[in-house]
Amino acid sequence: MKITEDRKIVLDQDFIKLEIDSSDKLELEFEPVNDCNVFININSVNELTVKGETKADQRVSLFFWNGCNEPVCISSFFEVKENGELILGFGECNGADTFIDATVELKEKKAKATVSTASLVNSEKDYRIRVINSAVNTEAQIKNYAVVLNKGRLTIDAVGKIVNGAHKSRSHQVSRALSFEEGQKVTILPELLIDENDVQASHAMSIGRVDENQLYYMMSRGLNIRECTMLISMGYLLPIADIIEDKELQDTIRNQLENRIRELCLM
Amino acid sequence: MKKGYGDDMKNLEIKDLHVSVEDKEILKGVDLIVNEGEAHVLMGPNGNGKSTLLAAIMGDPRYKVTQGSIIYDGKNILEMPVNERSIAGLFLGMQYPQEINGVTNSDFLRAAMNVRREKPVSLFEFIKEMEKTINDLQMSEDLAHRFLNEGFSGGEKKRNEIVQLEMLKPSLAMLDEIDSGLDVDAIKIVADAINRIRKENNMALIIVSHYERFLELIKPEFTHVLVDGRIVVSGGPDLYEKVDQEGYDWIYEKYGVKPEAEEKKERISIGSCSVKESLKGLGL
Repeated sequence: MKITEDRKIVLDQDFIKLEIDSSDKLELEFEPVNDCNVFININSVNELTVKGETKADQRVSLFFWNGCNEPVCISSFFEVKENGELILGFGECNGADTFIDATVELKEKKAKATVSTASLVNSEKDYRIRVINSAVNTEAQIKNYAVVLNKGRLTIDAVGKIVNGAHKSRSHQVSRALSFEEGQKVTILPELLIDENDVQASHAMSIGRVDENQLYYMMSRGLNIRECTMLISMGYLLPIADIIEDKELQDTIRNQLENRIRELCLM
Repeated sequence: MKKGYGDDMKNLEIKDLHVSVEDKEILKGVDLIVNEGEAHVLMGPNGNGKSTLLAAIMGDPRYKVTQGSIIYDGKNILEMPVNERSIAGLFLGMQYPQEINGVTNSDFLRAAMNVRREKPVSLFEFIKEMEKTINDLQMSEDLAHRFLNEGFSGGEKKRNEIVQLEMLKPSLAMLDEIDSGLDVDAIKIVADAINRIRKENNMALIIVSHYERFLELIKPEFTHVLVDGRIVVSGGPDLYEKVDQEGYDWIYEKYGVKPEAEEKKERISIGSCSVKESLKGLGL
């Protein structure tokens, strides 16, 4: 990995792990050379802005893991060129507030992007995710999964936009928030802004407590309500780790999420 | 010699059980004793309380016990939440098992095994047992990693209930139409598994089934016929054979009972056919 004079981070390896530990604002610009898988561990930062692009025929995956103890604001903007693929993931189970603003523009034909978030919400989390299909035959997926605990407040604004002229494009999104008890504040705004006819678009959304029939079924095998909720929560959040290709890191993130869910659910 | 009721055996005793669903009384005074190791079959026309009885024993919150008692292994299980009934040894193989996205069969079963053990089951021991059980039930090897019942066919769901039964080793299993949705070969596989578990654990059984073929394979020693929320006649294997051959009419006549009619679903119009409407407009 190199840093150029104009402060661009050249991603020239298959797998790169970055640690962010800063008390200031930080602006990063990524420049992938080949296909690559990047893991960004955010330990502390006040404001983080990330930019980058996926070049033609490249496959780039970036996973941001928020481990900050203080509130953080993360903004990202990526462009995907012809036949390129961007996989962007945000995961967190920390106790501090977070604001994430992620925009991906599918600039050229056959570009693809998947933006996923997974959050165990015990503070205030605010996500604004936008994927714009600007060219023909492009494909966008937004997947948001959250488990909201007692003190949690969650807002997800997910926008899929297909511009005029982006024929045969696809924009799909799913946002699901599982809450433990009544009274938690969860707002999900799924938006599809479609300005072309021969396209496919869909959104699915659910907010609520664990289904009572499912609870009864699981309890009939001996699990109490907390244990059922814990298993279902893990099912919501652990798949985010699949984005990381490095097995050791994948296990680390799974374990962190699992331990945190266990700790908070079995309290 | 078989021990009698009241010895140190795990027995189920139901007395004068009344159960309602949404203020409608379904069970109107059921008495039943199931001793350890015994197999009982519940028969009766649809909508007369068989599934309700099993659900009430398991503790389904939709079913409200308004009168009577259920004692299992000397404990009043009506005071116990569903999970504690399970840990006490009860198991209900459901007619419509739930699909649970995101929870794999292996995570679910391992958690369910651990709650009934002092020391958690080791990963090695669990995998060994799960593989053996999957093999016994002739299910696909990827079962452990699939989400709980999600995308399973009707038959796979039923077999997966038996996978859970074999892994959790209850002392009393209730199987609610576990044979429905199974083809002839699968019925044999499931029945063989149930018989093997019974033999190994001296497990008691309460089966709800309409298929004589399944009952022939399980060979329950006791038969009860439930009509309009009450057990109107009990007997041995000859009773289910007679019901299979002659139906229930002779029971209605002999015992002066009338079955509760199954609720008919009314037809709902989803609107008019636009073609038909346009033809009407043309006077055709």
